[in-house]
Amino acid sequence: MESGVRNRKNKSSPKASKVAKGKIEELATEEDHDMLKKSIEKLKHLNENISRDAIPDGDDLATTRDYKGDGESAPDTPPPETAPESATPPTESPKASKKSSKKAKAAAKAAQAASPPIELSLRLDGMSLSLFVVSFLTRIWKLETPRGIVFDELHYGKYAGLYMQNTFFFDSQPPFGKQLVALAAYIAGFDGSFKFDRIGSPYDPIVPVSAMRIVPAFFGSLLMPTVYNVMVELGLSHYAGALAAFLMIFDNAILAQSRFILMEGILMFFGMFGLLCILKFRNLYKQPYTLPWFVCLILGAASLGAAVCVRYFGIFTLFLGVGILAKDFWTMVGDRTVTDRKLAGHLLTRVLVFLTIPLTLYISCFYVHLSLLYKAGPNDNIMTSAFQASLEGGLASIISNQPVKILHGSQITLRHTHGRTCWIHSHDALYPVKYADGRGSSHQQQVTCYSYKDVNNWWIVKKPEIEELIVSEPQVPIKNGDIIQLVHGMTSRALNAHDVAAPMSPHNQEVAAYIDYNVSMPAQTMWRLELLNADQTDGFWHAIESQIRLIHVNSTQALKFSGRQLPDWGFRQHEVVTDKILEQEDTIWNVEEHRYTRTEDKKEREKDLIRSEMIPIERKNLTFWNKLYELQYKMLFNNQENVAGHMYASDPLDWLFLKRGVAYWISANSNAQVHFLGNIVTWLSGTVGLVGYLGLFILYLLRRQRACYDLPEPMWNKFCTIGEVLGVGFAVHYFPYFLVDRTLFLHHYMPAYIFKLCLLAAMVEHGYYLISENFKAAKLAKVYLAVVGLWMVSILYVFWFFAPVTYGNADLTADQVMSLAWRDTWDLIIHKQ
Amino acid sequence: MMIGAFGYLTGYDGTFPFVKPGDSYEGVNYLGMRVCCTALGACLVPFAFIIVWEMTHSLPAAALGSSLILFDIGLLTLNQYILLDPILLFFIMGSVMGMMKFLNQHDRPFSVGWWGWLTFTGVMLSGSVSVKFVGLFVVLYVGLHTIKELWDLYGDLNNSLLYVGKHFIARAMGLIVLPIVLYCVYFYIHLTVLSKSGNGDGFYSSAFQSQLEGNSLYNASMPLELAYGAEVTLKNARTGGGYLHSHIHLYPEGTGARQQQITTYSHKDYNNKWLVKKWNEEPGDWEDDDPVELVKNGDLIRLEHVPTGRNLHSHREQAPVTKRHHQVTGYGENGVGDVNDVWRVEVINGEEEEVVKTVVHKVRFVHYLVGCSLMSHNKQLPKWGFEQMEVTCNPNVHDPNNVWNIEDNVFPKLPNTSFEIYAPNFLEKFLEAHTVMFQGNSGLKPKEGEITSQPWQWPINIKGQWFSAIDGYKVYLLGNPIIWWGNLVVLAAFVLVYIYNAYRTQRGLKDDAATRARREKAIGACGWLAVAWALHYLPFFAMGRILYFHHYFPALLFSSMLTGVILDYLLESIPNLVPPFLSVSVYHWMTGLVYSVLAYSFYIFAPLAYGMHNLEPGFENGTIQNIRWLDSWEF
Repeated sequence: MESGVRNRKNKSSPKASKVAKGKIEELATEEDHDMLKKSIEKLKHLNENISRDAIPDGDDLATTRDYKGDGESAPDTPPPETAPESATPPTESPKASKKSSKKAKAAAKAAQAASPPIELSLRLDGMSLSLFVVSFLTRIWKLETPRGIVFDELHYGKYAGLYMQNTFFFDSQPPFGKQLVALAAYIAGFDGSFKFDRIGSPYDPIVPVSAMRIVPAFFGSLLMPTVYNVMVELGLSHYAGALAAFLMIFDNAILAQSRFILMEGILMFFGMFGLLCILKFRNLYKQPYTLPWFVCLILGAASLGAAVCVRYFGIFTLFLGVGILAKDFWTMVGDRTVTDRKLAGHLLTRVLVFLTIPLTLYISCFYVHLSLLYKAGPNDNIMTSAFQASLEGGLASIISNQPVKILHGSQITLRHTHGRTCWIHSHDALYPVKYADGRGSSHQQQVTCYSYKDVNNWWIVKKPEIEELIVSEPQVPIKNGDIIQLVHGMTSRALNAHDVAAPMSPHNQEVAAYIDYNVSMPAQTMWRLELLNADQTDGFWHAIESQIRLIHVNSTQALKFSGRQLPDWGFRQHEVVTDKILEQEDTIWNVEEHRYTRTEDKKEREKDLIRSEMIPIERKNLTFWNKLYELQYKMLFNNQENVAGHMYASDPLDWLFLKRGVAYWISANSNAQVHFLGNIVTWLSGTVGLVGYLGLFILYLLRRQRACYDLPEPMWNKFCTIGEVLGVGFAVHYFPYFLVDRTLFLHHYMPAYIFKLCLLAAMVEHGYYLISENFKAAKLAKVYLAVVGLWMVSILYVFWFFAPVTYGNADLTADQVMSLAWRDTWDLIIHKQ
Repeated sequence: MMIGAFGYLTGYDGTFPFVKPGDSYEGVNYLGMRVCCTALGACLVPFAFIIVWEMTHSLPAAALGSSLILFDIGLLTLNQYILLDPILLFFIMGSVMGMMKFLNQHDRPFSVGWWGWLTFTGVMLSGSVSVKFVGLFVVLYVGLHTIKELWDLYGDLNNSLLYVGKHFIARAMGLIVLPIVLYCVYFYIHLTVLSKSGNGDGFYSSAFQSQLEGNSLYNASMPLELAYGAEVTLKNARTGGGYLHSHIHLYPEGTGARQQQITTYSHKDYNNKWLVKKWNEEPGDWEDDDPVELVKNGDLIRLEHVPTGRNLHSHREQAPVTKRHHQVTGYGENGVGDVNDVWRVEVINGEEEEVVKTVVHKVRFVHYLVGCSLMSHNKQLPKWGFEQMEVTCNPNVHDPNNVWNIEDNVFPKLPNTSFEIYAPNFLEKFLEAHTVMFQGNSGLKPKEGEITSQPWQWPINIKGQWFSAIDGYKVYLLGNPIIWWGNLVVLAAFVLVYIYNAYRTQRGLKDDAATRARREKAIGACGWLAVAWALHYLPFFAMGRILYFHHYFPALLFSSMLTGVILDYLLESIPNLVPPFLSVSVYHWMTGLVYSVLAYSFYIFAPLAYGMHNLEPGFENGTIQNIRWLDSWEF
């Protein structure tokens, strides 16, 4: 196809080709063959611009049509605005230039006069622009419909609102994408007062729906030109690039995913753009340490880093990028012209850039996150007391005046630090004599973990050797390793554990508040205090700050939250036990509320003394790093409640064949709905393309091993590169999901899908190449093109057919909905009359 | 743990010929079986020697590699007892050795020795797979090796395609067909020997059960087709599913409508019986002469609980446990209910208008009005539901838990058919047994309080595993730390040497031929050993099931052999760095040092393997405390 393209282009613009040839000669002084090839590729870019420059404005339309010769692009493409950006300053990245595309026309004219002396191939071509415009139009059409909460907009919209209100929230994905949405909402003047309660509920007029939706729509549209350029950088023809972009524009799934407030559109753009930069960087192999070289490297790192900051799954794209870099570096190792010193320099630069930039980006987006969200909010409970105390309102207001150092006689509440929020609790109820399963208990007072604030959560710290339960002079601070007792405030019974099986976890020991029945069951109420972060507090036990473990002295087991609920006799509170495995999260506790015991019969003077001592030591605010560390820890290790068996969940294997969609939204009073489904034609062809690539690759490999070289060497190299970037790209975005142990939805497949579509477009081109070049069958080639055209028409048709459930704009009748359910596993919703 | 025992039944099967000497587990004969296991375990050392020898043809390397295995405490402990591991390790090493021997026959293709080793490898492979599924990794390894070899043969243009084809077919026969046949034979023995009904029956489908002697379904005969008016029991078709059940107790206050409970129950009971009725009319008596009407795929039916006369009913109320599903209740009086009692029968993969069949068909019951599907899963109801399993109506119709089959079918007017004819053949049984085993295997989720270990802890030898602590006589499974940690260090050294070598090659730097050849040889051998190690170790990270320390031992074998090879390489390289007159003695000193360290560490850790006794003097503070190098070793 390569040469076919070139010929046709030459025909249409002979003038341009002459110019091109001239340039080739200039460059031909370079000995390297590859270099020559690359410059030819590059000049092909130039050709288009030059050719368009040469033709008067009025003929634009014609040129465009010619340019899209085979109808391989969107038929309804509006004529591209001619904006040859050879004038763009060399430093400007495609991203930046595209952003300014609206001004581009004017700017270009102004800049044309003073075109810079150095010409670099970083510029915006008409194809990119038109792809952007078309996809942007498809995305923003009826952006405000449906005016209700669509699927995960529930979360992302809510988070944006919480940003407006500076209220802390917890989400297990990084915040960059949400921040972008929030920024748009902020500019549009949203105050976050809307309550996102459930999927489908209508938006208030105050919610700037289109402003928020335009963010993913914008990034989702930028994806198309990026993909086009990636294909071109891979050495594929412009047709293949345009075809890939076409497939993506008219895929219902990608459209839906980038039309609503969802993260995938943003994620895919950053991933692809990073890849584009890496590929450009690869093609700049011969000009190291020039400006464009640096720009590509840094932009690539930044963009891939941004992808990780949108969703953690972006890390796969980052791996892909790093993999490509590593492979290129390995090639460079083999290049004898590069000295060892230079090699080390190259390695160092790359490692530095790829370590610092994504990391900085990641940390700074969390910096913004944590500094914006300084108020206590609904998800506080997940965080530790120390973290909560650093938020405004909430816990901080309760503990603002409490003493820090815990003494003998301190009254405390003990909170389960990680996981479920609850406080050690006891109440005037006993363990039943016999459990339902026939086991006996100690029949002592219950100790539980209770998830609400309650007067029964208070315990008094006591040193065994001191009798009086008050804070007196001299103060007796509690240190790491001290033996203590905990006396329940309301019932005055001590926390006890003994070798009796716990009610719900029989392999653990029961914990009770000790009652002496005089039945040879001695009190075992001594606990050794173990501070996990003793050095932060000089070995003293502090409220809030210290994370502790209570080791039962007699059995050397640790006090633990077992996670099980007690039955009715325990008021459905949570069970507390001791466990011999000390090192686990559920054995960690911390003091949350704290006050010193003051008894009435003590003299006023003593009280005053204590009071004066009680003036709080300056409460330390957590540093950013501490907060970041904790947030990270919770994000990565917090098993969020898994909605197992969600109705629209699907397996990775289902994704290949589009077995299930996801219902995103349904109107309350008609059958208008948004159902997340791909374009089935594109989807299945993508899978076929993948299989086709693998099959061909194995076939070629087998034949090459027998010294049958079907493809000329450059063609074979190109074929391998496609596999390395697109095939491996698909694999790294797809296979990890088989190991993920959580509910998966079809939209998790999107990034892999993008790679699959690129591969499909490449395969279509390869097919054409095989027919026209290898078999020299010109007629067959024409038939092939016709089939491709037909196939594209069918894609358009299916796109149009399913558009109602992608845009959610039409009130469908039940029959119409049924006619869309092409597979019986697609569960579209019909309202019952 | 019953499931676990079951999962290993194949293993038991693989060992079948070997455990003959000690047929009964009780009492006297256990020594015979232990001798068997120990003998197999002892074979590992010579195997390792041969493998390394065949790979490198270096005597010191082979001796080192095998002595590392000889002196490891963990392997010793593992091999002493009647476990599957010694057998597994024996087969794994056997297959690798066979393959190595086979590879070295490459200049004499199709000779007797060539065929002999090929067959030997095949037999060993089948053995390792049938002991435990971990054996699959060694199959993969042998497969990779074979592919590589074939690829080279194929790439040699001197070989005609026919010749390559011959090679390919020979290997396919020896390494694929032969093991599969043998495996099936083992399994056949297994299924024939274990023809009695046992306590694992419940996990199997009705069809499978009908083949087990002593099971109520054995030799049963009942109507094949389902007719209106029949009394049936319904079994959830998922693994371990129970029978649809109801009893005269209502759902308690606060859990949806206060109607009669519907559950699943794993035991056979009169309360599992249901009467099949048309959606709009009551069936006649069995004595009437009405023509028999059969239930077809897609028909609307009602199900009446025979003892209580309530209809199976569902409505838009939350289910008691799974809140997102709809509640299923028993409703109505004497079979008269409302329109919410109507269900549509769907035969999975059935054709339209096909008659629903007992046992053979898998069916789904879709609620006519709500559109949800009758489901049951492992979640138990609280005490009010007698801790039977919950039954709900699942809005996701395609959930695999929604599938049921009809087990008993009582309808006198239809001729009884014996289920013999529908008995699954060997292949079907084979497949089902495997599915059940895999599910059972992956279902081995760690229970709270059980000591589990994470794969990353294994190579560091951070924690051992108690083997027995009977009467104060203790055996603790723990690797010899010198060997284990040494293996890790050497593995890292190998990676460095590999990178160094790759770098030099890529840069095209010249080395003298002898060094180069030596390095190539060591790296070639180690590369394959490292692959084997990775294949036997890394997959455990992806496994969700419960894992034990002893899972690492196959990987350890390869890692030890790798250490042998690399140590040998280093021992030969280091003397080159010192002045020539010293080099010979340095070499000898270092070799001696390595061996003596190994032997001494074996000596001091040996009590762990041979068992320690509480009553021995100085038990508490003597030897034991001295060898407790890490706090996490719990002895």
